[in-house]
Amino acid sequence: MKEKKEIEWYFPECFDEASCLLKKEGVIPHGGGTSIRRASLGHLFGLIELSHLPMHYFLVDDGIIEIGATNTFSDVIENIRKIDPKHILVKSLWQAASTPLRNRITIGGSIAYFPIWSDLMGSLIALDAEVTLIGKNEGIYPITQYVNDRNLRNGTLIKDIKFKQNGWSSYYHRESRTNFDYSSFNITILLKTTKTKIEDIRIVLVGCTKKYKRLIELEKYFKGKKVTKINSEEILGSIDVTFPAKKLGSPEYISHLAGIQLKRGFEEILNS
Amino acid sequence: MEGIFKINGEDKKFFFNSRAILLDVLRENGYTEVKDGCREGECGACVVILDGKLVNSCQVFAASAIGKDIKTVKGLGDIHSPHLIQTAFVESGAVQCGFCTPGMVLAAYHLLKQNSDPTEDEIKRALDGNLCRCTGYVKIIDAVKMAAKKMRKNG
Repeated sequence: MKEKKEIEWYFPECFDEASCLLKKEGVIPHGGGTSIRRASLGHLFGLIELSHLPMHYFLVDDGIIEIGATNTFSDVIENIRKIDPKHILVKSLWQAASTPLRNRITIGGSIAYFPIWSDLMGSLIALDAEVTLIGKNEGIYPITQYVNDRNLRNGTLIKDIKFKQNGWSSYYHRESRTNFDYSSFNITILLKTTKTKIEDIRIVLVGCTKKYKRLIELEKYFKGKKVTKINSEEILGSIDVTFPAKKLGSPEYISHLAGIQLKRGFEEILNS
Repeated sequence: MEGIFKINGEDKKFFFNSRAILLDVLRENGYTEVKDGCREGECGACVVILDGKLVNSCQVFAASAIGKDIKTVKGLGDIHSPHLIQTAFVESGAVQCGFCTPGMVLAAYHLLKQNSDPTEDEIKRALDGNLCRCTGYVKIIDAVKMAAKKMRKNG
């Protein structure tokens, strides 16, 4: 049997060193490695081990939560729970994969790869998170720009993610056949109400044809409405999202299911 | 490539392919208590405790674990000097074919280190990455409850 070619491992301890390594062809960052393990290694010449870089921090400063890229899902759950046990990221990441995988999957890797079953990205998109990049495209970018512009990823390393520590009410639904299955879609709703009105709302679906969709039209429709005037049945008729066929069922069935779960989510979050 | 790992408290130097996963490196060097199951991160037979965290060793590149602290189930105890969790598994009848047991014991250990008095839901949640095809989980959950009780009693 042909021996597989060796890959080079690099263990940088500062960002300058990491940035230089990112310029090498076929060399990519390695956080927890769970996404890389699932992908082919055939095209790779090297991996940059990130655990020696100072990216394992969790900061709350002036209303901004800043999470270093090498934090695992378990780290994030543990840290955010201390400041807000009902935070959307606690709800969503808690449902991702399994305990040993949550102990390994990193925030940075999950953003970079954005698998279609991601339990992280819907929440981050709804939170209007920003990504700090180092390397070729150094800077701070809205998460949606990072997701939609593949050029930003080349020669670049995610350093951290940040978002406002706002007092949102939240709802998260993960649609899967069994707990451990990859989800067919997931729904994130963030809501702020005054005593009587919906002040702000954000709704994101992940797993649809275009990977994710923020339901801006629906958000506009509900914003400013009196809570008592909300008829959740209206949601069912106003969702314009398409899905690919999945193991769960046909595109039409999944779309219908998403509408029902969205309606249920809306009812739950309004009554919470 | 080569690397030194601290396994069950002892420094060990291994030579391995740079693409190798931790599961294979451990088993090739005699740590066969780390079981080779699905190799997809789904069954939990291969879990180890890496720097204090329960992880699937099939999902970890060995190179990324160089210099780190690794605990396998034999690091908790063996047949001559079993850990309270291991005796609880035997006493509860939680072992049938035994293939999942090393992973189950380590998952229970990882839980009880953080939470000495878990609820049944918390136990189920902590074992969510470990599959057992024999027992139906009832005896395993009983074993974790018994272990928790024993460990609390022993301080």
